[in-house]
Amino acid sequence: MSANKITLNVNGTRHELEDADPQMPLLWALRDALGMTGTKFGCGIAQCGACTVHVDGRATRSCVTPIGTLADRSITTIEGLSSDGSHPLQKAWAQHGVPQCGYCQAGQIMSAAALLAKTPKPTDEDIDRGMGGNICRCGTYTRIRAAIHTAAKGGRQ
Amino acid sequence: MSTREHEAKWAPALSRRTFLGGLAAGSFVLVSEANGAVRHLLSPSAETFAPNLFLAIDPTGQVSILAHRSEMGTGIRTALPMVVADELGADWERVTIRQAIGDERLGSQNTDGSRSIRRFFEPMRVAGASARWMLERAAAQSWGVDPSECRAQDHGVEHAPSGRRLDFADLVEAAQGIEVPSPEELSYRAPEERRYVGRNHPIADLDAIVTGKAVFGIDARREGQLFAVVERSPVLGGRVASFDDTATRKVPGVVDVLEIPAFEAPHGFQALGGVAVLANSTWAALSGRRALEVQWTPSDHGSYDSREFGHALAAETHREGKLWREVGDARAQLRNAPADSVVSADYSLPHLAHASMEPPCALAIVHKDESGKPTAIEAWAPTQNPQAAQDQLAATFELPKESITVHVTLLGGGFGRKSKPDFIVEAALLAKEADRPVHVTWTREDDIRHDYYHTVAAVHMRAVVDDDGMPQAWLQRSAFPPIFSTFVPGSRNASPLEMGLGFTDLPYDVPHLRVESGQADAHVRIGWLRSVAHVYHAFAVCSFPDELAHRAGRDPYEYLMDLLGAPRLLDLEGVEYPNHDEPLERYPFDVGRLRNVTERVARMADWARKPPRGRGLGIACHRSFLSYCANVVEVEVSADGTLSIPNVWVVLDAGSIVSPDRVLAQMEGAAVFGASLALYGEITARNGAIEQSNFHDYPMTRIYDAPRNIHVEIVESEELPAGVGEVGVPPFAPALANAIFAATGRRIRKLPLAGQDLSWA
Amino acid sequence: MSKTILTGTTLALGSLLLFACAQGSKERRSPATASLLASELVEAQAAFELVYDVLQHPRCLNCHPAGDRPLQYDAGRAHSMNVVRGPDDRGVPGMRCDGCHGTSNAPLPHMPPGVSSGWRLAPREMVFEGRSRAELALQLMDPKLSHMDGEQLLEHVAHDPLVQWGWNPGPGRDPVPVPHEDFVDAFRTWLDAGAPTPTEEARR
Repeated sequence: MSANKITLNVNGTRHELEDADPQMPLLWALRDALGMTGTKFGCGIAQCGACTVHVDGRATRSCVTPIGTLADRSITTIEGLSSDGSHPLQKAWAQHGVPQCGYCQAGQIMSAAALLAKTPKPTDEDIDRGMGGNICRCGTYTRIRAAIHTAAKGGRQ
Repeated sequence: MSTREHEAKWAPALSRRTFLGGLAAGSFVLVSEANGAVRHLLSPSAETFAPNLFLAIDPTGQVSILAHRSEMGTGIRTALPMVVADELGADWERVTIRQAIGDERLGSQNTDGSRSIRRFFEPMRVAGASARWMLERAAAQSWGVDPSECRAQDHGVEHAPSGRRLDFADLVEAAQGIEVPSPEELSYRAPEERRYVGRNHPIADLDAIVTGKAVFGIDARREGQLFAVVERSPVLGGRVASFDDTATRKVPGVVDVLEIPAFEAPHGFQALGGVAVLANSTWAALSGRRALEVQWTPSDHGSYDSREFGHALAAETHREGKLWREVGDARAQLRNAPADSVVSADYSLPHLAHASMEPPCALAIVHKDESGKPTAIEAWAPTQNPQAAQDQLAATFELPKESITVHVTLLGGGFGRKSKPDFIVEAALLAKEADRPVHVTWTREDDIRHDYYHTVAAVHMRAVVDDDGMPQAWLQRSAFPPIFSTFVPGSRNASPLEMGLGFTDLPYDVPHLRVESGQADAHVRIGWLRSVAHVYHAFAVCSFPDELAHRAGRDPYEYLMDLLGAPRLLDLEGVEYPNHDEPLERYPFDVGRLRNVTERVARMADWARKPPRGRGLGIACHRSFLSYCANVVEVEVSADGTLSIPNVWVVLDAGSIVSPDRVLAQMEGAAVFGASLALYGEITARNGAIEQSNFHDYPMTRIYDAPRNIHVEIVESEELPAGVGEVGVPPFAPALANAIFAATGRRIRKLPLAGQDLSWA
Repeated sequence: MSKTILTGTTLALGSLLLFACAQGSKERRSPATASLLASELVEAQAAFELVYDVLQHPRCLNCHPAGDRPLQYDAGRAHSMNVVRGPDDRGVPGMRCDGCHGTSNAPLPHMPPGVSSGWRLAPREMVFEGRSRAELALQLMDPKLSHMDGEQLLEHVAHDPLVQWGWNPGPGRDPVPVPHEDFVDAFRTWLDAGAPTPTEEARR
């Protein structure tokens, strides 16, 4: 385990982590070192999607992504998806009243954003596949699906 | 009590009687007490109008409302303040919701048992209406008019005859001089006057949630805190025999390794005990824990094998047990019946873990005097019950309850797990030793392996049927390790509480009935999970009629309606039946309401259609938490046995509703929760240790295999409010199992479905 | 599954003819000039037997599924989470392989494994699941299905990080039990002999 300096580019800002373990998953670096707690811990083994962020635009499970692999990569978290909650998915989530407890929703939104970025008009099957890695224990799936369709239609239900 | 009388009881005009007769009586104490110089939880300044503990208005007119129940996804943190705001006449844009710390003056904060609205709708109305009464009088005095001509609305008081208006901000000072009214003097807004209650309103935390700013327990932070994880005995009751932390202490970032003493039986809400690794990040703590070597002492539970136990439990239900309810003489009927008229079935359900998406976690600070003795504790936690946390911390640290402050964060799901404050105690014990704030996080493995498990259960059903296939005698017997084993060592008897959750209150109209329970020992911590014993009781009670219907060659829905019998209040005279902690006079078991939701759900689902082979509809209805809920589940099963759930129809009668959209959301979520437990939910133990550890071996339904469409209707009602959060869960699994039978001819008597062959040809 | 290998000349001839389009190596025999000694044929077929066992091992087979869903665990059940191959064999938007599978194995059991070259499925045509010896042998030597010639195949089995991963699959997974070197040698032996095809009977 080597101690060294690791630079992370998160939401357009460079952060330098001194004496960081390169094996530390991005999740804990975000939450414990950088104080960005919007990205959630759910399983630690890439089973639930609560920790989903974007790495170079792709949905990535931060709980299994060592920070040592992220130099020169661009990381986006829920805090950086939009400056003011105005991402079409965030608006659609509000419009459909998707969240119940809300804990998994940052990960759900980040997965959905990666899906929409490449598949602007997803079918139900696209959603089943692109969102299959995210668990919601409250059971908001029907609204998540509806909200993704709404966002894809530019906010129209 | 007739339905008419029931309505009258709830009618606004008579609400005073309800108020005095009901559980809201305690709120009067609150109102009076707050008028004195007691600690006010909204910390108002001298210039603030704070007529009771739940409400304060500052000189700018900003209204603060105290949310004293825990928010874990039901929307309660928004719903109860809406009731206050409505009665007050506040503009929601000028309302701030503040979360209460644990404080017994607020009444029970145990956010559990689907009781927040039914218990606190009225106190919240009192809180808002009494403040309004005072503001209206303050305005009347300043204008020199009769208070009856003044009306608070839109965040001000209006005098209609003169058209004058004063904003709440302008009345704050004057209102402080008005006496707090007695409840008899209050009147309440009629439903049509309400702006928030009964309408859809976004939850208060919506924007924070979708932007990642919402603060859950896992996000609690204090300067200088350490992050801790705890290694606990794989078997309940194992103690630390020895441990080697040499390698752990070499892990960069690890600050300390501390032993947490094992609990003394009964475990209750105490910390389990174990070895904690404290570090400057969760990752360092986890890495340190991986390097830790702990030896555990053997435990009496070390031979627990859940598979063998399941067989023993089933055998227990074949022996005569404790009698809970008797109608006629079912025993004699069963004894004398010809063998071909006796039908029986055995149902079994496994342990379940709660697996809230946010695992148990807590942050604590322990304040000490100069001698190092703890004097006060402060904790931040996603707890369903901050008062239980106070009680347990007080007991563990031998401190007065008042010296313990428990801040309630948002909960990333609760489902009953977070009613138990053991994880908060862990954080406090470590904070005391470390002399710093300590945040404990349970990993998912910790959560799955050391839960307060939903109990394993076996249910035996037996009936004597007549020539029409209708039951003349009915025996049902349930056996399960009881919840009380968590609080009383050696408890092996079912309690009235558990038996009352969907078993002693069997609603079917049978001339001879016998309800019994068996005994069972607990070998893991037993807790309660969303809808508790209703899960296994409803599975049997709602599956067996389907079996009887098919045996009789009848339509299951029509058979069920016949079995429910005439609309009536269920006669539970002489039965030890807690009725979810409400008097039967106030909340009778109304079979008519159960029939109504069942009829409606059948209509909604177009029950009469005949789906092709491989498709099937199943129906179930159940009363729980004083509400009535019916489900029709539609399944599609491919010939090779692959199951999907295209549709679920739900009708709910929960009496009066505060937040319709959140009630819909709870029903949607309950179907998904029910699907997870029915399809996959199974915790097993071998050699006393839990075999599952994370979502790969304790799976949940996901977006692609959860019910695809969930159609919900809420019965419009002015009956007393009843439970919502748990009510949707019980009927789902039996309706699903009944649908599978319709589709495939395969009868499901055991959950989960995973691993069972559903193929048909 | 039987380990029988037919060693008749007819079989060898048939397989060599089928081998016609799979040549990339100067050293190896071309079908036109092929004349295998019986002992060489026995050796080659034995070598393929070893190759086949490796290719049918869950560490190899799971990413060479029949269809569009990768497989998991020794039981080879469909990958949870509704994971599918996608247009480039690396998943679909929102659920790309590399969203979980990094550039090295994660440190604990049940965590996603990873490789330096990036996780992905084999091409859709390159199915191992449910393939008999003969089918797999023919398929390997058909560039339309394998997307590789003999040289490239050898390079793939010898040096592709995804193949090498089968011998270093991370905690909680059994590696392929045959040493990697033996596998590569056997593959080479089989190729050098002209990649003779086992008979259909060998399937059972």
